[in-house]
Amino acid sequence: MKILIVEDERSLATEMESFLKKAFFLCDLAENGKQALEKIGVNEYDFILLDLGLPDIDGLTLLQEAKKYNTEAAYIILTARGNIEDRIKGLDLGADDYLPKPFSLLELQSRIHAISRRKFGVSDQLTPLGEFKIDLKKRLVLFGIDEIELSRKEFDLLSYLLLHKNRPLTRMQLSEHIWGNFADDDYDSNYIDATIKNIRKKLGAFAPTEWLETIRGVGYKIKYKQE
Amino acid sequence: MKLLTKLTLFITLSKLVIVALFVALLPTLIGKIAFQYTNQYLREQQRKVLKVIEQNGIDYYLQGDNSYGSYTMLKEEYISLEPITHYKKIDTIETSERIIERDTLTYRVLSHTFTYNKHNYILEIGKTTATINQYNTPLQRIALYVLSALVILTLLIDLIFTRYLLRPLGLIIKSKLLNRKFPFKEVIPSVRTSTTDFKLLDESFIRLMDQIHETFEKEREFTANASHELMTPISILQTKIENLMLDSPVNEHMQSKFSEMMRTLNRLKKIVHSLLLISRIENEQFAKAETASSNTLINEVTEDLSHRMEEKGIQLSVNLSQNTTLRNINHTLLYQLFYNLINNAIRYNKPNGRIMINDGLDNGRYFITVSDTGVGIATEELDSIFNRFKKGKNTHNESYGLGLAIVKSIVTYHDLKLTVNSEINIGTTFKLVFPPAIS
Repeated sequence: MKILIVEDERSLATEMESFLKKAFFLCDLAENGKQALEKIGVNEYDFILLDLGLPDIDGLTLLQEAKKYNTEAAYIILTARGNIEDRIKGLDLGADDYLPKPFSLLELQSRIHAISRRKFGVSDQLTPLGEFKIDLKKRLVLFGIDEIELSRKEFDLLSYLLLHKNRPLTRMQLSEHIWGNFADDDYDSNYIDATIKNIRKKLGAFAPTEWLETIRGVGYKIKYKQE
Repeated sequence: MKLLTKLTLFITLSKLVIVALFVALLPTLIGKIAFQYTNQYLREQQRKVLKVIEQNGIDYYLQGDNSYGSYTMLKEEYISLEPITHYKKIDTIETSERIIERDTLTYRVLSHTFTYNKHNYILEIGKTTATINQYNTPLQRIALYVLSALVILTLLIDLIFTRYLLRPLGLIIKSKLLNRKFPFKEVIPSVRTSTTDFKLLDESFIRLMDQIHETFEKEREFTANASHELMTPISILQTKIENLMLDSPVNEHMQSKFSEMMRTLNRLKKIVHSLLLISRIENEQFAKAETASSNTLINEVTEDLSHRMEEKGIQLSVNLSQNTTLRNINHTLLYQLFYNLINNAIRYNKPNGRIMINDGLDNGRYFITVSDTGVGIATEELDSIFNRFKKGKNTHNESYGLGLAIVKSIVTYHDLKLTVNSEINIGTTFKLVFPPAIS
């Protein structure tokens, strides 16, 4: 997958690049609207991450322009402007998703995956996890032919951990994914712990779940061996 | 009482008092004038008589008689001339009674003694007081009528003039003070008046409100800009920390440190988010055109918060009997409002406590209450709970003191009324009253 990062804040752009590269994406950087249009003109991108606050062109105008050259790409708007109107306008103009700054890189990756599944039909039909198989599209956990019933939030949490397998995720990152950037603050809530406990209990009834590791003082991680 | 009413009352009363006083004093005044005039008249008569005697001799009156007396036909006046044996100087004017032809009449009598050809005489000239006072009553009546008419006329003129004079003041009060909503956004033209004081007052009001508006705008702009500008560095920090965490090999100790850093960063993020949200609400960036039923709204919030209640073993009882449709609202903001209130009720509750959500009508206005059986808020802290960055003693570590500030700005934005009742260790009740335009 090829991604164009349009972001004038260099430091942020390079961090995004380094993260996405580790996730095996090919990345290009553009610091302003002009550079972005030049790159979009000559390259085919699967994803264009677009900062709205560019020095030369208004992000929404750039989005309209870029769509003329590259209709196939998926556009994710990144912005510190949190106006609901901006958000609606961006999505109306054909953006696929909208991520308000500051965002978590993990969240960005999970959005990219969600769009990939939806837009490009990329779906790791059944992802093996220990003795289980996960159907990300149908949101199912299978043990053999048995379907294991998880609540919406439990499945969200499990699939998020799976998406970022082999990475330690903090309780905060997990709860932010589940709850979004919303409203009040309650990270001491042991909601994440309780949900993990439920997942272990429900799946543990069928087979061991030692792949779901607790990292002391941090959070959780799915240890995943490529077969 | 309005200034105009006060002035009107004062003008009317003062005029009435003066008229009443004048009419009441009229007989005395007339009496005094009449007496003075009578005295003068009697003196004149005396002079005339003496002059006649000097020119024509005393016999002109006496005609050989011992004495002389003469009455007008209706006995209004009389003159008498009598000789006296013992001369005693008398020259007085007094009121006394005289019996004339069996009639007792009160006269104003001038008595004057004089000597003529070595004989002493006393001259008396009298005039009845009845004639003196006879005009009193009609004069009083006429004065009353004339003055009343004058009072009414001047009163009307006064009222019209005062009303005209005070009109600019009324306009200033109406346009500058009444029905003005903070932060005085709309520009109101100055009131046209030729009265310097009003001009000054009006200008001062305009200047004052402009200043308030400007200061407020600056503050809002600052908050918005500051929050906005903070987002980018926070983004950079967050991505850097995340990348560092993902870079293996990082030991468990380091991971835990990173996790703490992220928590701190997240706290910063939440504060900035809240400030930006408050600033947006105050900038009226949210449309108020949505509709929601109170039941649905509360259900949405309580469902999203149910896991937190379960965690603390909190019992929830929702008793919404009215199922009112809330109009002209912003759904997201009202959701946020109830989310914050109910989340607070959970956070400051006791384990296995209760949360009650009720509704009802208060003077025809729809209200919703959120009550908890929590730790309560001290009376002295009640006033400051809605202030930004004011932390109560009981405040949880995880709270940044902005939840209720957001609530307050949403309440103000929707013209709701929010009251708090709290008792330490018993619980807190938030009561939200909706204006008719919403419920």
